[in-house]
Amino acid sequence: MFKKKVTLKILLLLIASDILETAIQFFFKKSALAQADLVVADPAGAAVFLKAVFFSPFLWAGLFTVAAVFIIWSTILSKIDLSVAVPIASFSYIFVPIASIIFLHEKITILRWAGILFILIGVILVSLSSKERIAQAK
Amino acid sequence: MKEGLLIVLSLIALTSLCDTINQLFLKSAINSLNFTPTFNIIKIFKFIFQLVINPRLWLGFVFSVISLCIWLLVLSKAELNFAFSADSMHYIFIALASRLILKERFSSLRWLGTGLIISGIVIVSLS
Repeated sequence: MFKKKVTLKILLLLIASDILETAIQFFFKKSALAQADLVVADPAGAAVFLKAVFFSPFLWAGLFTVAAVFIIWSTILSKIDLSVAVPIASFSYIFVPIASIIFLHEKITILRWAGILFILIGVILVSLSSKERIAQAK
Repeated sequence: MKEGLLIVLSLIALTSLCDTINQLFLKSAINSLNFTPTFNIIKIFKFIFQLVINPRLWLGFVFSVISLCIWLLVLSKAELNFAFSADSMHYIFIALASRLILKERFSSLRWLGTGLIISGIVIVSLS
């Protein structure tokens, strides 16, 4: 039997996981930006950079959020199918660029938005096809 | 800029590859336990315990740590919106690995989706 019914509670959890996924990437980016003065050109430079990032509170905020998303995601998947959950969750492909513009002052061209749209539709199709596969197996 | 883009894309490919290896180890660890979803708390705890003592889980964990390290290096070099979009290439690696290693069967819808992701990454990289 398919678990398909997306209740308001599940929808809110999915939106929360989208927002938290965006927060994770924002925290990781911030932890890397905090060490922007370090030049990473060789493995030794990379090691110095990673050691500095390890002590960044932003990194740990990000890792803490990863754990929170894992718990929320487990709850979601106990209620609805992966093929229903992933398309809604993949909206982080839109949320992350929006957050990049607002909080990191990055610039996104129309062409890049077009590419992002391709990726989003692709991810949705890939996750929908897993439902089809399970349905055939039944 | 051109050379920098190539390095960043290679690093993103590497982090996606590590993610895929992590998923394969995790999937193989879970498959070996023959677990069926249940609400029985004791069975769930037994499942988690068996998973935690499975070396394949920890091999996967090592790769996810490597993946995170490379990802942080990527973020030090690239804009977040670009890196996050390009990171969707793990869908391609997972598709290839599922097909070649786990011998899973694919529908045409999945190939279409994977093709769209590849086109999207190319467009995002060119912009």
